Amino acid sequence: MMEKNHPPKKSRSFGRNISDAASSDQGSHHSVEANDKDTEKDASSWDSLPQVLQEVDRFLDTLSTAAGEDEESNTSPPSEVPNSVELLSKMVESMISKYNAVKNSMRFGKDPEKDSSFLNALKRISGLSRKLGEFPSNPSMASTLNRTSSILQKAMSFLDEEFRLLLDDTKANRESDEKIQKPTKQSSFNNLNNLESDRCLLEDRTNNNESSQEEDEYPGFSPETISNMNKIATAMISAGYETECCMAFSISRRTAFRSALDKLGYDHLSIDDIHKMSWESLEGEIATWITVVKQCSSVLFVGERKLCDTIFSSNRTMSRSLFSNLARAVAIQILNFAEAVVLTKRAAEKLFKILDMYETLRDLIPAISESYPEGEVSNELFSEATAAKSRLGEVAVSIFCELENSIKNDIGKTPVASGAVHPLTRYVVNYLKYACDLYKDTLEQAFQLHLKMADKPKEDVAEDQKARGKDDKEDGTTKTSPFQAQLMSVMELLDSNIEMKSKLYRDPSLRCIFMMNNGRYILQKIKGSTEIHQLMGNTWCRKRSSGLRLYHKNYQRETWSKVLQCLSHEGLQVNGKISKPVLKERFKSFNTMFEEIHKTQSSWVVSDEQLQSELRVSVSAVMIPAYRSFLGRFKQYLDPGRQAEKYIKYQPEDIENMIEDLFDGNATSMARRR
Amino acid sequence: MRATDNQGSFLNRISIRRNQVVSMDGNHEQELEDIELFQKHVSDRFSDLLSPSDDTSADALLSISWLRKLLDVFLCCEAEFKAIMIMGRDASLISKPPLDRLFHELLDRNVKTLDVCNAVHHGVDAVRHFQKLAEIVVSALEQRPIGEGQVRRAKRALNSLITAMALEDKDGTGNKSTERAWSFGRRGGSGAVNKDRNPGQFRAISWNMAKGWSASKQIQAMSSNLVAPRGGETLALPVYISSTVMVFVMWALVAAIPCQERSGLASHYSVPRQLSWAQPMVGLQEKIAEEWKKKEKKGCSGLLEEIQKMEKLVQSLSEFAESFQFPAEPERLEEVANQVAELAETCKRMEEGLFPLQQQLREVFHRVVRSRAEILEALEQGGKSSTPIM
Repeated sequence: MMEKNHPPKKSRSFGRNISDAASSDQGSHHSVEANDKDTEKDASSWDSLPQVLQEVDRFLDTLSTAAGEDEESNTSPPSEVPNSVELLSKMVESMISKYNAVKNSMRFGKDPEKDSSFLNALKRISGLSRKLGEFPSNPSMASTLNRTSSILQKAMSFLDEEFRLLLDDTKANRESDEKIQKPTKQSSFNNLNNLESDRCLLEDRTNNNESSQEEDEYPGFSPETISNMNKIATAMISAGYETECCMAFSISRRTAFRSALDKLGYDHLSIDDIHKMSWESLEGEIATWITVVKQCSSVLFVGERKLCDTIFSSNRTMSRSLFSNLARAVAIQILNFAEAVVLTKRAAEKLFKILDMYETLRDLIPAISESYPEGEVSNELFSEATAAKSRLGEVAVSIFCELENSIKNDIGKTPVASGAVHPLTRYVVNYLKYACDLYKDTLEQAFQLHLKMADKPKEDVAEDQKARGKDDKEDGTTKTSPFQAQLMSVMELLDSNIEMKSKLYRDPSLRCIFMMNNGRYILQKIKGSTEIHQLMGNTWCRKRSSGLRLYHKNYQRETWSKVLQCLSHEGLQVNGKISKPVLKERFKSFNTMFEEIHKTQSSWVVSDEQLQSELRVSVSAVMIPAYRSFLGRFKQYLDPGRQAEKYIKYQPEDIENMIEDLFDGNATSMARRR
Repeated sequence: MRATDNQGSFLNRISIRRNQVVSMDGNHEQELEDIELFQKHVSDRFSDLLSPSDDTSADALLSISWLRKLLDVFLCCEAEFKAIMIMGRDASLISKPPLDRLFHELLDRNVKTLDVCNAVHHGVDAVRHFQKLAEIVVSALEQRPIGEGQVRRAKRALNSLITAMALEDKDGTGNKSTERAWSFGRRGGSGAVNKDRNPGQFRAISWNMAKGWSASKQIQAMSSNLVAPRGGETLALPVYISSTVMVFVMWALVAAIPCQERSGLASHYSVPRQLSWAQPMVGLQEKIAEEWKKKEKKGCSGLLEEIQKMEKLVQSLSEFAESFQFPAEPERLEEVANQVAELAETCKRMEEGLFPLQQQLREVFHRVVRSRAEILEALEQGGKSSTPIM
């Protein structure tokens, strides 16, 4: 530094090369408030601003040269601070007080031209403050520095406030009425046995996916506001006030972000609260959470990122770190909820909500990696989100696998009346169907990734897979996936459980009907859904069908073979002649047997219409021709009239009609018919 | 992550040893030895915390780096506990009375620990806010020569900092003026048009916990059913030790870092004195509690060493700023320069330490979640046929 060559002078003698405006100005040690007269005068001389700026720029150049090339060139720092500096200071001061004179409304941004003069002037003030600091021992410069940095501080303070006001000036804040309503709580998989519910649920799910499109205007700033904020931020950063600027920004945005979440209905719950919450309430919270996360990944984060980038266009690092910090705080909050849900007691009815959450996080993760620049925060969030997702996946897998235990533990000793479909069958199949219809891919994925954490030992799965490998080749489908294997194993368990339950029926025919009912129910449900059908495979369906046919045959045999024996043409002859007593006996026992069967089996239930009619058709197909032919051949041997009437109680048409009564679940049909 | 590495090798050691032993007789003896060792380790680790061997001020009691060590200790103890209780053990043992009840209490404590971790995590955000404000002070007062502009800039930041610290102490529970304090420098200034536009928003910096959540109540709930087992209950001891460590660590964190609602913290928990392994913990607890009681009266935002230092420096820099006149006296300036350098050093330590501390808190969080799952699994396995879990 070369100050010593230039003994300090009193800074009275400001350069005279600028208009007279500053002539009244004496001394650099100004009090902050200029008197009214000065202000007036300065204000009127704003026209001379370009000239003043030029002067100041020249001065700054001299300072730079002096400070920078100290030793090589012998340029010495100017001993005096030109008048233009004080002139500029006054102008800026007056500009600030002009701005501040405006009450109750936005001050910056009303007159863009004035704003840009102000910012231009500030640039010089901040340049002066920086440069003059390099000559600390020059008293004239030091006192000028005191002056400029004081003005700079005032200006920054003003801009800081203005920045804050602009930040608060969002659409959301302007609108007092809240358009966005709390999302309706999603209905859930409560009525598994209610067949109709499936469809409603499907619709529910689709609707929910669409509803997130509405709010497009986040964060809701007008382009002017954005541009003004950008100008202010740029000015503050270049003046070295970036910490204040960032702080104002991040506080305001956090508040805004939080109220955006509040509007979506997001509750801040402690993990302890969530842990103690009833499932019904938690379901509602989960629905809200899903909306919130979707909104975050599709709208909020994107909007926030863009806002940061636009406002802090002058400093990329800053905009990134501002965004990352906000997103990190939000994301951790969001992920904590997922962690808390995972901690709650596992139960079958929670599977679908947990899968919903799993899917939501799965979709959030790419949003995180896309919207975040590389770096520590990004990595941290990525692994946090992945960990939360994994935990949800593990829970989903373990709940799904729990189904096996539920089936195993269902060991009720009371048979379902009338051989109808067992509630367990209904429950399990609907559960599986629902799971596959809506979550097949997700479950596949979850099983692929998280099965190792589930109860099932790995070897089991491997073996299952091997065993099924053969089937699949015939099928022409791909290798069995872990989820598929689990599905198969659940089916097998269900089968053996149902088989066990069938043993509760003493009547072998009813046992067959029960097996057919359940088997048919399963098969129909599975064929009715592309997803689960595909997973179970055609081979499996074929096997099931032939299994059902077998039960059908068994039923035929169990129920009707004895009846058919009565109608046999053999054994009626005694000594080459038709024996009337034997014939009468035959008719009698046929009538009794048939009536008995009719009575019992009309009360049995086959709810599947097709199966019901198949059964009736097959019975008719055997019985009617046999009866017709027996009747046709042996009727003549009975005396017409009373005897015939006594033994031939039914015409073939009657038999046909009565067969139509079977499996109706209607015990009174016989009485009605009589 | 250092803690994890330790844990890995440590677990290996334990489990290998256990495998060797299981085949032999004297299982019970081994068990006793394990528990003996566990007590010793806990005692050793906390002695280290009580009187650090390398006497640098960076590791001072309740400093950021001390807290990080504390969390390391927690992770180590937790791993050792699991190694003793869960790994390689017949699950049916822990799912029967009286252990099952103890484990369920432990699980409940686990859940509360997670909330405390989160609250402290938020609290660290608040500390980072202090740091930012202090950085403004540093960058303003570092400049030479110090002019009125710089001092005014610093004064604004100092005032915000003082208010912010005071409000963190009051925990912002329903305190309507909090937002203003957090928002930097909105007080005064002619442009405060919408000063109170969002009067309902508190604490914009840290995401607050659920309404009504209280750190001190959680600590109280965690410790209220913590009873030292009687002589005969061998396996109950590790559960008790582990819980004590957990509660102590959470308690110390809450005392150090700004946290929602901490009134009466010092009286809510104390480590029993009669147990030999707990002696170092008792020592620490007494020191911290004493400190807490002292500060609670005059108000403090946290016993964190860096915060305390900051509070002191802020006080004196604030006095300087209030009485400043240009040009400043050289002697005063020198003093200020030293203080600013100290403040800068504190900021630097925060800058370097707070993020890792938060990461470590997350590590603890995840570990507790994991452990909880493992314990539940073990309980479920052991109690498959008996009563359902939870």
